[in-house]
Order: sequence, then C-alpha cells, then structure tokens
Amino acid sequence: MFEAQEINAEHKDLIHDVAYDFYGERMATCSSDQYVKVWDQTSDGKWNLTSSWKAHSGSVWKVTWAHPEFGQVLATCSFDRTAAVWEELVGETPGPGERGTRHWVRRTNLVDSRTSVTDVKFGPRTQGLQLATCSADGIIRIYEAPDVMNLSQWTLQHEIQCKLSCSCLSWNPSLSKNHPLMLAVGSDDNNPSNGGKIFIYEYSDNIRRWMKTETISSVTEAVHDISFSPNLGRSFHLLAVATKDLRILSLSPIADNANVQSGLYKLDIQTAAQFDDHGCMVWRVCWNITGTILASSGDDGCVRMFKMNCINAWKPVAVLKGDGSHVANEGHRSSVCSAASLPTPPVAAVVSQTARYIKLGTISQSREVPWH
Amino acid sequence: MVQNVHGTFISEKINKIRWRPDPFNDSHSFITGSWDNDQNNIKLWNFEKGEDDADIYPFVIQNYEFEGDVTEAKFINSDYCVVSSSLGSVYYLKITNTLTGDVQITNEKLWSNIHKFKNQDPSLCTSFTVYENDVVTAGEDGRVNVLNLQNKDVLRTIEEADSCSLNCITFVKHSEVLTGNSRGQMKIFDLRVKGNQPTNSFMLSGDQIAATCLAYHPNQRHMVVAGDEDGSLTVWDLRQNSFPVNLLSAHSESVSEIQFHPDHPDQMFSCSFSGELWHWITNKPGSHGGKLLNVSEMESNSWLSTESIKNKFEVFMLMPKLHKAINSIDLSRDRVLCGCDNEAIYLINKVNIYS
Amino acid sequence: MEVPCKTFVIPNELCRRAGLAGVWAPLNEVAVFPSHLVKAHNPDAPSPYGPSNASVYKVRQQVILFEPILRKLVNEANGTFLSVQELISNNVLDSKVELQKLSCQYRSIIRACLENLQDEAMRDKTNYKEELQNYITIFYSVECVWHLCEILFVENIPGGVVLPHLLEWIRFHFPKYERKAATLLAGDLVGIETHPDYWQTVIGSLMQGRIEVVRALLRLHSAGDSKPFKLVDQALKAMPTYNIYSGVSATEFNLKWKHWLVDTQSKIDAKLFISEKHLHLMMRLSVGEETAWNEVQSHCEAWYELLAAWLVFTEPTVKSFELGQFARRCIARMNVGLRMRHLDYVLLAAMEADIIQVIKEIQQMSENGWFVSHLTDLLYHAGRLVVLDNNPESHLVGSRLRECFLLDYGTLLMGHTSLWQVGLSYLDHCPTEGLKTIELLLPRLPLKSEARTQKIIREAHKRDLPQIIQSICKIQAMNSLKRGHLGNALTWGIKSQDGTFTSLLADKFLREYCKNGKLLNIDLLDSLGSSMLISDRLIFLGKYFEFHKEYRSRNYKESANLLISLLSSKLTPKYFWATLLDDTIPLLECNELIMSSLDTFTLLHCLQEKSDLPELQDKIELIRLGAARNLSRALMYEAQLVK
Repeated sequence: MFEAQEINAEHKDLIHDVAYDFYGERMATCSSDQYVKVWDQTSDGKWNLTSSWKAHSGSVWKVTWAHPEFGQVLATCSFDRTAAVWEELVGETPGPGERGTRHWVRRTNLVDSRTSVTDVKFGPRTQGLQLATCSADGIIRIYEAPDVMNLSQWTLQHEIQCKLSCSCLSWNPSLSKNHPLMLAVGSDDNNPSNGGKIFIYEYSDNIRRWMKTETISSVTEAVHDISFSPNLGRSFHLLAVATKDLRILSLSPIADNANVQSGLYKLDIQTAAQFDDHGCMVWRVCWNITGTILASSGDDGCVRMFKMNCINAWKPVAVLKGDGSHVANEGHRSSVCSAASLPTPPVAAVVSQTARYIKLGTISQSREVPWH
Repeated sequence: MVQNVHGTFISEKINKIRWRPDPFNDSHSFITGSWDNDQNNIKLWNFEKGEDDADIYPFVIQNYEFEGDVTEAKFINSDYCVVSSSLGSVYYLKITNTLTGDVQITNEKLWSNIHKFKNQDPSLCTSFTVYENDVVTAGEDGRVNVLNLQNKDVLRTIEEADSCSLNCITFVKHSEVLTGNSRGQMKIFDLRVKGNQPTNSFMLSGDQIAATCLAYHPNQRHMVVAGDEDGSLTVWDLRQNSFPVNLLSAHSESVSEIQFHPDHPDQMFSCSFSGELWHWITNKPGSHGGKLLNVSEMESNSWLSTESIKNKFEVFMLMPKLHKAINSIDLSRDRVLCGCDNEAIYLINKVNIYS
Repeated sequence: MEVPCKTFVIPNELCRRAGLAGVWAPLNEVAVFPSHLVKAHNPDAPSPYGPSNASVYKVRQQVILFEPILRKLVNEANGTFLSVQELISNNVLDSKVELQKLSCQYRSIIRACLENLQDEAMRDKTNYKEELQNYITIFYSVECVWHLCEILFVENIPGGVVLPHLLEWIRFHFPKYERKAATLLAGDLVGIETHPDYWQTVIGSLMQGRIEVVRALLRLHSAGDSKPFKLVDQALKAMPTYNIYSGVSATEFNLKWKHWLVDTQSKIDAKLFISEKHLHLMMRLSVGEETAWNEVQSHCEAWYELLAAWLVFTEPTVKSFELGQFARRCIARMNVGLRMRHLDYVLLAAMEADIIQVIKEIQQMSENGWFVSHLTDLLYHAGRLVVLDNNPESHLVGSRLRECFLLDYGTLLMGHTSLWQVGLSYLDHCPTEGLKTIELLLPRLPLKSEARTQKIIREAHKRDLPQIIQSICKIQAMNSLKRGHLGNALTWGIKSQDGTFTSLLADKFLREYCKNGKLLNIDLLDSLGSSMLISDRLIFLGKYFEFHKEYRSRNYKESANLLISLLSSKLTPKYFWATLLDDTIPLLECNELIMSSLDTFTLLHCLQEKSDLPELQDKIELIRLGAARNLSRALMYEAQLVK
C-alpha cells in the first residue's frame, strides 16, 4: 500500500524536473514558467518553500544538485541556450528572531551553446566538480571548477560533437576505480535511418580526451531519457533507456581488448529487459538509490515501477496514475484485496500530526507484488 | 557476580536515562530521553518491585514531547530536572503530583536556542554541568553559557570558548569548569574571569582524539576522568599539572558515559558505543581485607596511583555485549540503568558493590 | 506466480490531464508530478495545461513496522537475527538444536508483540483500534505459520513422527477447549454437565487428543459412575498412543492400535454407549467412523484443526512427508477448497513441504518483509533451501533468495530516521551485495548533529569504508563553513585526511589575516601538532602562527628563525608574500640585532624574486632599507665576534 504527501509546488505551468538533494531533505523544482524553487523539509516532515527565483528566460528543463561536499549547489539548463550554476548563500545578519536569510546566487552562466540546453548533470563526486551539458545542436560540453571553494570560475574542458540533436545524458556513477569515466548521451532525432541514438563516451587518462567508445545500434528510435544504474559491484553496467518502449541495456567491458592508444575497452551491449507496458512513448527513467527499482514515465500518463527479483529478472511492481475524480474519495477504502490476501490496513488513522499523508486508492484488485 | 538484567523494548532510542532521586527510599522511578526519532520524548517511568525481582516491567507514567534530541538530562532533586536539546535549548522541568494523583511534567523555565551558529542555525547543546543552582552548558557552536536556575536570562556567554565543537563540560570548582572538544583539547575556564581565554588548556592525547564525556571523583573533584572517541579513559589530577596520571585503554569504541558510584568512589561504571557496560573496581576487597579505605587520604585513591594501576583494577561486564550502542547509564545504590540504540532500556539489579 | 501489478491513483486532476513523471527521492520514496514530454525543437510556449497549480506528490510505501508498537518487534528480532548469524559463523556442532531454540525465540517475540497489541487494542478507544486489530490478524497468522514451519522444517523430529508436534501446534492456536475446560473445572462441579459448553468441551478436547482432560471431565459427570461412562473411560485409558521413545516399534504399535479398534468397534456395535448419544459419538469418532466425523467437522474452525484431530484417530503414526495428502483430503472433506484464505494456502504449502511456495505466499503478508526475511534466513541456515540449488529447472538459488529478502528489509529500515542502525546489521549479512548497498546508503543518512555524524562515521569505520568517512568529513567541513564556524571546518578538514581540501580551508585563515590582520581560532592553531602535516598550506599556517606566538612573547630570535624558514620554504602562497615580507620590518627595526647577515641575505633574495608583486610596491623600498641597515649592523657584529 502506498501513501502520498502533496506539496503544492506553486509553479504556474507544468513541472519539468524535480530533484532531491543527496539526503532527500531538500527539493528543487523547475518549470516552463522559467522559475526554479527550492523546498526544505522541516523536522516534522513538512515542506517549506525557502527560495524561488526566475532562473532563465525560457523553459527550465532540468535542475540537479551537486554532491554536498561542494556545498549547496544547483545546476539548471534551459531553452534560453544557457546552463547555470547556483550557490546558496546564508547571510550572517538575519532579521530579529529569524534564521539566516538564504538566497541563491548565480555563480556562472554557461553560454557556449547556440541552441536549447537539454540536459545538465554533475559528474561523479570523486572527480571534483565537473558538469556535463548537452544541447539540441548535438554538442556535449564538460566544464570543471578547479577551485571548489570558488564556483564562479568554470572552465570548458571538453567539447564533443555528437552530430545528432542531444536530449539527455547520464554519468556512470560506478564506484569502482577500475572503470574510466563514462557518459551516455541520448538523441531524440526522429529518423531511424540516422542509426543508433545512444552514444557512449569514455575518458581516456592516457590521452586526456573523451572518446566515443560505442554507438548503441539496437536503439534507432528517438531517445528521451537515459540513466545509468548505481553499480553494486557488478562487472557490467546497466543503462535504462526511455524510447518508444522502456529498455534496460547491459554494458560489459570486453576484457583483453583495450584500445592501444586510449587504453579503453570495447563494450559488449545486450538488452537485459524490454517493456512495452506503457504502450507508447517513454520519456523519463529514474533508478532508486540502490538500483533495484526503476521508475519510468510515458505518454500513457503513468509512472511505472519495475523491480529486479532474485533471479535477476525485471518485473513490474506498481503503477501510479493521476485521476482527479478520486479527490472526493480520499477516504475511500483503498486496499480492497483479493479474498486470498490478508486484510490490509484500513484507511483511517496514520495521518501524522504534522505532515499529512493520504492513502492512495487502487484500481486493479489483484494481489500486489511487494515493492520490497 | 549474580546480576539480574531486565530488558524492555520501548520503541525509541535512548540518549539519556536518569534515576529520579528518592530521598527516603530506593528509587522506583526514572526518566528517559530519546534521540534520532521523528518525535522525541522525555518519559517518566515507574516500576513495581516484584517479590523476587523476577519480573520487573517498567511502565510510563508521563510523557513529555520534546523538540529535538535529548542531549543531556540531570536531576536537581526529586522534583526538578534540567534537560538540554539538539536545538540548543535548555529546559528546567518540574515533576508534580496533581491532586487527582496524576503526575505532570511542566516546563518551569526555558532558555531557548542559547546555542547557535553565526548564521543562526541552531546548534546542539552537547552537555551541561550543575553546581547547586548554577548550570553551565557547552555546545557544538563552541560556546559556553552560564545559567542560574533562578534566573531566566543567560548570565554569561563565553562566545568563542572553543573554535571547535565542545563535547563535554564539568565543574571542577564552583568557579571553574573543564571542557573537552572534538579534537581532544581540554580547557579550564575560570567563570570569574572575563573574556574567552581559558586559564589552562591541555590535550587529551597527541592524536586529536575527541573527548566524549567527563566525570569527576565524588570526593575529590580535582580528579577527573575523560572518555574518548577511541574508547580510552584518561585520568587527571588537576592540582598537579596538565599531564594525565593514567591512561586506560578500555572499550573498543567511543565511551558514551562514565559515572563514579557516589557512595563508593572506588567503583566506576562506563558504557560505550560498542555496546559494552563495565563496572570498574579498584581497591579489591581481598588485598585490604575488604574494607573501604579512607578516601580522604591521597594515597588511597587508586585512580591516581600511577604505578601498577592494572593490578589495582577489576573490571566486570555487567551484561553481555549488545549489538548496538549503549548511550547512557545511571546508578542508584546497587542498581544500574542503561539506555541504548537498540530501542531498549535495561535495569540491572544487585550489582555487586563492594563496601 | 505471476500477478499483474497494482495501479495506484494520485488524486489530482492536472496529473490525469497532463500525465505523470516520477523521480526517486532518497531513500525509499518516489516523487510524482504533472509533466509531459517537451521536445527540444518545439517552440518554447506555455503548455496547454497552464496556468495551473502543479503539485508534487511524495509517494511512499506504508510501513506498519514503523508504528511504535511494532518497532519493538523490529528491534528485538534484530537481536535474535544476529544470534542466528553468530551461531552459524561459529560453526557450532549442534547448530540444529540451537537454531530451533532461536526459532522459538522469534516466536516468543511475536507472542509478546501480539499480547502487547491485544492490550493496546483493549485500551484504545479511538479509530486506531481498528488498525491494531488488523495488526493482530497479521501477526497471528505470522505466528501460526512460523510455528508450523518450525515443526516441519527446523525441528529435528525423530522418525518424522509429527503428530505430537502437530497437536501441540493446534492446541496452541485453538486454545478455546482448554480455556473452557479450565472454566468448567473452576466452576461448580456439581451438575457440571448442565453447563451448555460441557459436551462441546469434552468432544473438542478429545479431538485435540487431550485424553486425560476428557476422562477427568467425564468422571465429573453426575452419571460418571454409570456403565457407559465407565466403559468409555476404560476404552480411552486403553487407547494406545504412539511415542518414538516408548520402545514400541511402529509395527508393534499398529498391532496394538488395530486390536484396540476392533475392541472398541465391537463395543459400539453392541450398542453399549447408545444410551448417551455424546458418548456414542465420541467412540465412533475414536474408531474413525466417517459419519461421526461428518457430524463434528462443522465445529472445526479450520481444515487444519480437523486434520490434526482426524490424524489422531486414523493415522497416529503419520510421517511429516505424508501430511500434504491428508491435508488435501481434509480440505476436500470440509469443502473449503474454494474458500481458502491466504493463511490456508500458506499452511497447505508448508504441509506439502513446498518451501518455495511458502516463501512466495508469506511475501504477501503485509508486514513489510519482516516475516519473510527472518524465516527465509532461518530456513536457509537450517539447510532447507538446498533443494533450490539442486533444481536445474529453477534459476533460484537459496543463498540469493535469502540475500534478496535481507537486502530489501535492510534497505527499508535504512530509510527510517531511527532504525538505520538495525538496517545496517541486516545488510552486513548479505555476502554479495550487502557492502555495496551500505556504501550507497550509509552516506545518504542525514548528518544532522555531530553526535549522529560520529555514529555514522563509526559504522563506516567498522566496515572499512575510508572514502565514505572522507566524504562525510568534507561535507561537515562545508556545513561548518556555511555556519561561519571556520575552526570547526578546519577540524573536519583535518579529519577528512584530504590534503588539497584542507589547504583550501587553511587558505581561508591566511586570506582573512591578509584582509583584517587577525589570525582566527588561535586555540586551534596552537594545538595542531602533527595533524598539520596533511597539507602544505596547513603547515605554513601552523608555522606562521608559531612565528606570531614567539613574536608576541618577545622571543624575537625564535620568531625571526621561523620567519626566515618560511621565506625559504617554498610553502608561501602567492597572495601571502607581501604580508610575510612586511612582517620582517619590525624585526629589522628592532633595537637589538635579531637577524643575522645570512638571514638578511635570504630576505633580500626573496625580495628580489618577488619585487614585481603589485601589492608589494608601496613597501618594498621600506623593507629594502631596513634590510640594508640590518645587514650592516649584522656584518659589523659578526665581524666583532670573529675577532
């Protein structure tokens, strides 16, 4: 059974991205209304809006947090062809009886792109403060802040031409030191005859350059989102792909086949799972922290969750769907289960004193596969 | 050693546990303060003593909802206690029996957010020490605040008593407090002297190991024991110099609390994050005919005797090692209470106190 | 067991119209919000859904284990779980017996929890009562299944003679007759048979195999001395019971049993009990007469209650592995096949020794995996999951199955504010992915206070995760910095053991000095000790502080030595040169001679090297002049010394 807490995001248009900080205690949202908002969870579980500012002069596509080792830092990207890095400042002179005044300062504005910047992501923590952007004209840029205490200085380290329009990118978060830095980039180019739509780039320490190690030819339709799974010590990487359906690809470095110059390995790419549950275009994928459950969003308006079971097969476990007609029905008994299953908690109670959670009603009456 | 250990699971991790003193009888009542919970509480407990102690079930008489973690609690007398919070506040709580026979916990005084950082973020009040009506608090903000239970204002703040977090504080004289910080730097402040300079300071060890708790000898306040992050105990005689008299490597993890037995200062109790609860006895009965030595004689204080201290100790484990941290202990005659991170409290009866 | 997954409704109209997008929030929550795909090439226009009030919904699983009353179960069971792991790692010879003891311990934890729930449910007057009743139902089933699994899969039953254990199980879970018998015996014994429950209790006790209770109750009947009663008493007394330790073999027992049946049957046929219909029924039941059993089976609450009773009188030597077929027969007999509850399926699967089915079924028990994790772990250690590994058909492996449940359960607990330490102890016992999972989850625990941070660091330390400790220390340093607590930031920087990072913090002190001429946190700088060695900049800062300290205590010679060694050290940051060179002036201008000619040459050399630093321009002449004067003084003095 699930319960939900509603946070009115106060955006004037649809939300394009929601990002949680490393601990899940802060939330950043961005929207077509060109605003970015930051919300803080109080100790009693409520969410308070602590900052809201007009960040760009176009739709803000993505918002993302840097690792807390670098302080309270956000990056955003927008239709206005820029990406920006923001840092929170806490004033030392608050008003009487107030907590310090908080506001977000634009530390840098990255204006190298000539078209809409479609995605922005901070690199792995161990690499210092790196930022990758990709844009609609097919250029991937990697920036770096050499002094982590001074975020106003960013240098454009690498510029990679991708030829096709880029829609999304993902850093491989692999913890192992044996893996080179790896980036996957997806293109929403509509023409299947342009070939594979996912590109894998790796950084070669030998030649200090990003190299394209792979174009994934099995995906030729437009790709709208990609995401590497956290690696639990596996020898291969898992990449979730949102395209006309949902795919999970496995990428295994082929041993004894390193490129002499770059020292990079070729990858063996297999489709580990493929789901057509959405029945239409999929455009958003997200892994949970341990990479055991994948959430996808599609044009069917649903968020679907898939979990890996103990024989390493992926199974759908739950679907979330919006339906306003249930609003009045808030108190309705949500957990009508099949006769075979045990009675589930009734709807009353468990409204905590502070943060209000509502129990979610269900549509299907089948037995539930446990989420955990 | 025959001991009765009674464990009770209470659905919250306990950071502080204290007997409610009973001037006339054996105490049957105590308070617990929780930490790390969505809603923290101070609970007043009671238990009925069974015929043979076989079944002791503590039950809650009163619950006081507490904002933030409970970081320290100390009874002033049987009706009043002082409690500090992770939000930097200090409470002076009163326990009263109403006419209807109920027990109430009310807040007599509150020193709100007296520990805070420069940007006004609240800071944890890590520790406080009490001497009659005087209370001196220490916090992660490196401040020291001087309070008096009769006065709602903060009497004095030593603004930058320490550049680092202060972890523990104790009175060594009515006019002097000793503090320990997160790098193991110990400072003595004379409360009569203005400014933020200590009158003396010294290091716990050369390795920047944090001091975690402090206790003084009940009869000889100049004798102080500090527990540290690595599980060791260090003993000082503050009259002499700033070098420790004894260093005892004890627990395998952080020492969480140390207490001398108030009536038998040759015995000490310590507990640790490692889940250990130890009873230290110096002055073994065998070697001295089982008699407690006259503690007013300097030589009799085995804690301060430098040579062959190991021979003068016996250490007993009061219960099997727990899998989770023991955060707090308190004793009342031959009974020990402890509160732990496995959301349980334990009462140990008939601890063998040599006397 | 493929089942379609459930669809949950987000009660929001905009979410329906626009569609939903979802992202994960640490640890176990999903945030969903109204959104739709916008292609980068489309013109940037307001969506057709705006202007609108978009909400974010944070969705999480409802976890009953986090209810205070059930947290006792979580914590207490954790102790037993760790005892099981300890037992296994110690390779105890008699681990089977010990495992059974621990299984009992688990059950007594569930029992304590149930009693607690019952007390609370009695007391509670609010609508929470309903919730409590619901928990009671869940954990009653858990207890019932656990007990049966313990008998069938954990306990080492000699010869597989399962009936006494089964009866014990039934008596425990259907205590009604025992209670009624006790009430009857405690009440007025005269005319006891007039009590409405009398015969029900007698027959119920008979069906649970409590022969002594039956005989005692019959003796109290006012006609207890009459012929039929005497005969029944004799028959029951003579009824053989099978006991593996009695020294009687199964064949021998069966002979005795047959003999007793024939004897009793002949008495029934002779209508010796007909005068008292209840006695007649009892004897007919004893010999397993179908029609008699048809009469009583409706009194059974569950098929397994009937099963145990029926086995007592028809299959007293039944072996564990035969239970399944008899169970199915009882289900058919009671015609409950279509009305099977979830609990019935689990118990049936257990009796059929289908452990995998049991595990699959108990996953559904809505107690968030507490049961399935602990039981699977126990069964794994009892060697009961080996069947999986030997089955080439299935991809399931026992150890993997166990680990999956533990990972899920541990992760669930890690997401709770208070129970994260408990969660860790489950992940610790996942041999393949446990440590990696900890590596991902441990750093995500909010640090809140230093006290909590220390506990988190200790956990990382225990598991040898230095990179996590380093990261936490750096985050703490950044937090302290944000709070204007520079000294503490440096302390955390030192603890992080990251030289580059610590240098950046030391820079803050030096720059502050350049700006305001004040060295901050001198208590800290004064006691750095060997910890300053982790960063060049920190060494510089520490030494520079020492220079100040010596100067202030008028040890000019020592302070000059320190200054000169700093000047020649190559540790000086570029922005600090002007300050450092400036510091020489008072020493040069001192009444007594402080700096030797050699010192002065070093100074002049540095001055020459840095002469184009812009911030030095207004001072350089002054220093040069001072140095020249000092040099002449020093040379004269040194010349005198040589003489």
